Amino acid sequence: MSPKTIQFQLGLGACLAAAFLVLWAIPNWVSSPSNVSNIVLAPVFWPYALSGITGLVGLGLLLAARGASPVPDAEAEPAADDGLSWVRLSALAVIMVATMFALPRLGMVWTAMIVFVLTAFLFRTRHPITALICAVVIPLALYLFFAKVAGVAIPQGIFVRLP
Amino acid sequence: MSFIDSLMAGLSLVASVEAFLALFVGIVIGVIGGAIPGLSATMAVALTLPFTFSMQPITGILLLLGVYKGGIFGGCIPAILIKTPGTPASSATILDGHPMAERGEAGRALGMALWASCTADLVSNLALILFAGWLASFALNFGPPEFFALILFSLTIIAGVSGDSLLRGALSALLGLLLATVGLDLVYGTNRFTFGDPNMMGGLNFIAVLIGLFAIPEIIAMAWNPTAHLGKARALGNAKVTIKDYIASFRSILRGSLIGVFLGSIPGIGAAPSAFLSYSEARRKSKNKANFGKGEIEGVAASEAGNNGVAGATLIPLLALGVPGDVITAIIIGAFMVHGLQPGPMMFILNVDIIYGLFIGLIVSSVFLFIVGSVAIKGFRFVADVPKRILMPAVLILCIYGVFAVNNNIFDVGVMFAMGWVGYVMMRYRIPAAPFLIAFILGPLLEDNFRQSMLMSGSDPSILLRGPITWFFWAMTLLTIAAIGRAIMRKQAV
Repeated sequence: MSPKTIQFQLGLGACLAAAFLVLWAIPNWVSSPSNVSNIVLAPVFWPYALSGITGLVGLGLLLAARGASPVPDAEAEPAADDGLSWVRLSALAVIMVATMFALPRLGMVWTAMIVFVLTAFLFRTRHPITALICAVVIPLALYLFFAKVAGVAIPQGIFVRLP
Repeated sequence: MSFIDSLMAGLSLVASVEAFLALFVGIVIGVIGGAIPGLSATMAVALTLPFTFSMQPITGILLLLGVYKGGIFGGCIPAILIKTPGTPASSATILDGHPMAERGEAGRALGMALWASCTADLVSNLALILFAGWLASFALNFGPPEFFALILFSLTIIAGVSGDSLLRGALSALLGLLLATVGLDLVYGTNRFTFGDPNMMGGLNFIAVLIGLFAIPEIIAMAWNPTAHLGKARALGNAKVTIKDYIASFRSILRGSLIGVFLGSIPGIGAAPSAFLSYSEARRKSKNKANFGKGEIEGVAASEAGNNGVAGATLIPLLALGVPGDVITAIIIGAFMVHGLQPGPMMFILNVDIIYGLFIGLIVSSVFLFIVGSVAIKGFRFVADVPKRILMPAVLILCIYGVFAVNNNIFDVGVMFAMGWVGYVMMRYRIPAAPFLIAFILGPLLEDNFRQSMLMSGSDPSILLRGPITWFFWAMTLLTIAAIGRAIMRKQAV
């Protein structure tokens, strides 16, 4: 992406976000007592003020985009070498969502083992055996520290419980 | 309490094997973390934070300070050997460090980096001890309007200098301030963006936000391009740094240390600009200025002194005013908060033993850094060989455990993942993350001081300009905006 595109997209995004906050989010999701005498002290004042400034910054970014360079900056954007970058990003997002579902059901240790293996292979590791060993050892070592030393109640899940 | 009494109280707190071991281990973790490109000192501190929850406050904080100091030095190792800075602060070290490595003098460059780092670290720690108490006693006169003006000034400077665009920095800070409004209102206790979820009522967990913002984007970036990190490490060579080299560079080291102390004590500037300023000053004043950029050892000394000079000084605003000096001290403030401590002027009265304990620990840290650094230089090849595609899944697992451990809450893990994607988008759009995090921390404080000021004055905004202290901070804020605006205009004109 060129600096011009970045500034333009950010400016547009900031303006839209500010409009969304002012017109929809704050009126619906920020409650304010009806007996507040002064708007400056109301719970809605700060979000409104910040949203307004965000809108102004967005306008500033749009203005700045006019003078920015349209030439793409090759150094700033990491190149995807195999054309599968978006697939891997999507897969990582799926792994994260699945982790949230698995944590209370499988428990943290088993979930962590699976997540480790999946991410290591997603990143095309050249050391699959090491990855498998680490996938078992690291979650267990962290479980031992947090559960036995720090006294944290690590989720155990509903299938296999650890001592 | 007299100085001697305070010192003794600090000594009684810190004089234990546990505390010094934590400091030593912290430096080891920091050097390793800083030496692994892509891990960085910031991520190392963030990942160590959850391990401090079960420790005594002083032990936990010393562990994190050790990681901080080790991490800043560790960043120079890959900068010299593989031309990749382990932390952004080491970017200036590449300019002369890597050409030296190409000439087969990597060992000499690393040795000088270590000596310069330890000297600057000591100078910075002494500055902290000398100035923090003085600043804290001055800050005891601050009321809500003064704190409001101070925080606004800090946020302005952080937004202005963190990235390459003031507007993007400002956008980042505004997003952080907006995120900080989530939760129950500070005065009326009404819901703000909680969506009726009890998990949101206390606001978003600070540690989940910071780990999400600084660790997860690196993991996502690895999914985007798993081979981006591959590089070639240079051999150490037989040349070693000598006392003669050190004496020849001493003026640059001292100058760099003082630049680091000065810039570090201003909230938000951080180590990277300090390293570059120290480097350019050394080049301007050096007899060998033509050699700079081609492998001049004085250049390595100056840049390393510049970035390590910041490490102690960033704690001056943190301890004296409760305002983090950079993103790492913003993380360290988390350790204070977890242990029920609130950095700021009152800490010098209520927890003076902890303050002096930290001072003692910091002085010792310079010695530990020298010992650990000497070994780390030789052992870098083992660190460089850690496969990053195994390391990143391990970091992910560590993040999950660490964030869960804060509140025993799976919701926080979800917040961390969400913030990770926010951080990744920010990275792709070159929005600096530091203003976001610092604004997220200072947001409630800013709003609280604003509302207290309004309550004090019956909503008369002129209270925000009530005296010389507020005038000073407002003037500094305006000057900062004008200076940054001028710099942008000049850049565009070139």
